[in-house]
Amino acid sequence: MRIELSAGITLQSGTFNAVIAPEKVIVSALNSHADLQRFLFLFVCGNYSRILSGINRTSGNFEVRRAFTAHQLFTILKEAGHTIVLVEHDPTMFDGAENMITPVSGALKDVGREALLILYSPTPDRAFSALIRQADRIFQIAASDERAYRPHRGTRSYRTGSPLPPAQTTLEVS
Amino acid sequence: MWILDSVYRGRVELWEKDGTVKNVRCEYDPPFYLHLPDPHPHHDMIGALESEYRAEECTFRTIFGDLTGYKVFAGRPVAEAIEQQTQYEAQLFNVDVRIDQRFMAERGIFPCGAERESRFSPDVPYDLHRMEIRITGNPARSPVCSGIDVIHEHTERLHGAERDVLADLFSLVTSCDPDVILMPDADTWMPKLQEQARASDLEMPFSRTGKYRKMDARSYWSYGRVEHKESALIPDGRILIDTEQSFVYREGGLAGVLMAARLSGLSPNLASRFTPGTLISSYEMYEAVRRGIVVPFRKSDAESVRRFAELRAADRGGMMFQPAPGVCWDVDEIDFTSLYPSIIVQANLSPETIEHPERRGFLPEVLDPLLGLRIRTKQMKKSDPRYAGIDSILKWMLVTCFGYTGYKNAKFGRIEVHEGITGRSRDILMRTKDIAEAMGFCVLHGIVDCLWVQGSPIGALKDRVKQETGLSTEVEHFDWIVFLPQNDGSGSYNRYFGRLSDGSVKVRGIAARRHDTPEYIRAMQREMLTVMAGAATVAELGTAHDQARTIYRRYAQNLPRADLVAMAISRRISRLTYAHRCIEGAAVNAYRKAGIAVAPGMKISYVVRDARKYQVDPAWSAGSFDVRYYRELLDKAWGEISYAFTSGGSDRVEAAESNAKQKTDDKDRCRHDNNACPLCR
Repeated sequence: MRIELSAGITLQSGTFNAVIAPEKVIVSALNSHADLQRFLFLFVCGNYSRILSGINRTSGNFEVRRAFTAHQLFTILKEAGHTIVLVEHDPTMFDGAENMITPVSGALKDVGREALLILYSPTPDRAFSALIRQADRIFQIAASDERAYRPHRGTRSYRTGSPLPPAQTTLEVS
Repeated sequence: MWILDSVYRGRVELWEKDGTVKNVRCEYDPPFYLHLPDPHPHHDMIGALESEYRAEECTFRTIFGDLTGYKVFAGRPVAEAIEQQTQYEAQLFNVDVRIDQRFMAERGIFPCGAERESRFSPDVPYDLHRMEIRITGNPARSPVCSGIDVIHEHTERLHGAERDVLADLFSLVTSCDPDVILMPDADTWMPKLQEQARASDLEMPFSRTGKYRKMDARSYWSYGRVEHKESALIPDGRILIDTEQSFVYREGGLAGVLMAARLSGLSPNLASRFTPGTLISSYEMYEAVRRGIVVPFRKSDAESVRRFAELRAADRGGMMFQPAPGVCWDVDEIDFTSLYPSIIVQANLSPETIEHPERRGFLPEVLDPLLGLRIRTKQMKKSDPRYAGIDSILKWMLVTCFGYTGYKNAKFGRIEVHEGITGRSRDILMRTKDIAEAMGFCVLHGIVDCLWVQGSPIGALKDRVKQETGLSTEVEHFDWIVFLPQNDGSGSYNRYFGRLSDGSVKVRGIAARRHDTPEYIRAMQREMLTVMAGAATVAELGTAHDQARTIYRRYAQNLPRADLVAMAISRRISRLTYAHRCIEGAAVNAYRKAGIAVAPGMKISYVVRDARKYQVDPAWSAGSFDVRYYRELLDKAWGEISYAFTSGGSDRVEAAESNAKQKTDDKDRCRHDNNACPLCR
């Protein structure tokens, strides 16, 4: 099972994929692939989702669970038995729960062994950068208008240009 | 035993007031509870817990039912180690309940009340010796305090050299020995006083043991905005209230603080510093412990799997009906009393009743007496204003109890409960609208828990709504009301003002009501509203136009000579860095330049010197202001008032003057195309 995220970028099952992209890219990828409706799909978000209202999927296979705490996210990942799991990153979940980043990262990796796991964020932040250390693939897709897209510069790793997480196998940027 | 204060320092310490104040110390070493869904892989860990600490097998009660596990006589670090070792499989309970609160809940005792009293009595009898301390100067800027007013049986003014002033203050506190100290900006002043006392080799006497508890400063999100709480030094055995920063004190006075303390089981020192959300959460925790129910440590029970369409249908918030902008008259506002808590109680909504609706839920059970108390105080405050403060605190606690059902830190919340409440509220408002229209009323506007209707008899509608929904309502009659437009010309949901039948004016969302309005502009609107309050009918309202315009012209003319203090804009800052140049960002920079540390959520006060150049001064150091900028604010405020007379209103006002009884005009004025509306028909 594969999803074409953008021209030439394909996500495969059995992988943990981190995606940094404008909201419209991820929404478009979800809405334009009719065959996605054949698979059991779990969308996981936090208290506020940037993309949920844009998703136009009516299939009974498209399911949603919301997590308001890192512990809830951990529980959801442990219970997930879906073919595709898309987690929309919410950094506020880890406010005061930084110790949960490592277990959640491990749970993401575990889910990604069987399913297609996508951890999505429009901009990277400190928690996201820590969560994707075990990701198999990391995609950063810029907006078509480059000037309009300014990646978040708040994390130390980006500011200092430190190397990307050691677990990554590819880096594809379009 | 009337408990004035409580703290845990290895043992529970209570300060009891019975004529004099005495300190009672109780040994208390409560366990936390541990449940392992599959205990066998953790055999070694359990053995270690039994040998290293005390761990005993037991059964304990959660809101979902009984669980078997262990009670472990250890603290939070051990609980967190268990979490990690079990890879977050372990379910832990009663780890973070305040130990003094738990001690009192288990024994059925509570702060600020005698043993035989009911916590749910609207009367909070107390005999406390009070002292008010007012220190001259701005606490954020003044490094020293050289002038202090002390108000107890009489007022004393202390001034002079810093050491002398402090020595006099400390001597007064020691000799008067007050139970309650009311001090504006106490939490900002206290660390400075402590520092000055040390430097002057004086002993600060606010604490009855000489010890102080420290609360850290923090910024946090609350209802979509960032708030800031200063750090605090809390004395032992004495209530110290920061009258300027305490929301609970501002809303409820001392009686409100004491009521919050007795309901939540927290020391009044804490109750005065916590938000209503923390108070309701503490109240639920106290009630849980009192009933023998354990309190979960982590919120890990996530939302159940939802179909996408189902989620979209469920997650929609409260119902609103948009008003047509303009002036309406003889309007009644019918308002449900504590609608959301009433729904929780009436519909038995609680995390555990989602799967088992036949059970009586924990939330309805604990909110029922609180709701009953609020309904009583709401009635009582009409004849006795002493109950207004207590009523206000109860209102806020009940308002937040709904929000907490969907809040990440709520111990007994669940998003499905939150959605269930809003879903039912939508049904109730729709049903009420249908009832009103079926009875010949015209529904003008509606927001979540209240409707604005034209028609009569309103008493019959109120009774019918009570009969159909089982919920109590309150009615306020407007002689006239102005619904303001949004920028696109459609009616604004939350900006209106009108004259109530008692002659007062109720305003929402306009400059006179907003916190960031400069006093000069607020004063102008208030003066205009006072004039308009004299108009009992729409026809009379028309005659107020000239007077209001005269007020506007006077304020506009006097603007260049206005007092700088009246130009200060007070605003709560939400951030410290701004992507674009803006007035608020300039104000933050001005504060920094003045050497004041700013944090998100802090309230700042500034005067705009030159808006085009983003030049702003802190209010205390302003030397001039941008007349053009403030004139714009003044014109905007006048625009809100003049709407009642001009485009949206004057045509109709004039029509009312000339032919108020003609139905054709009525239909035009009413601006509704509704056959059920008596004016449209």
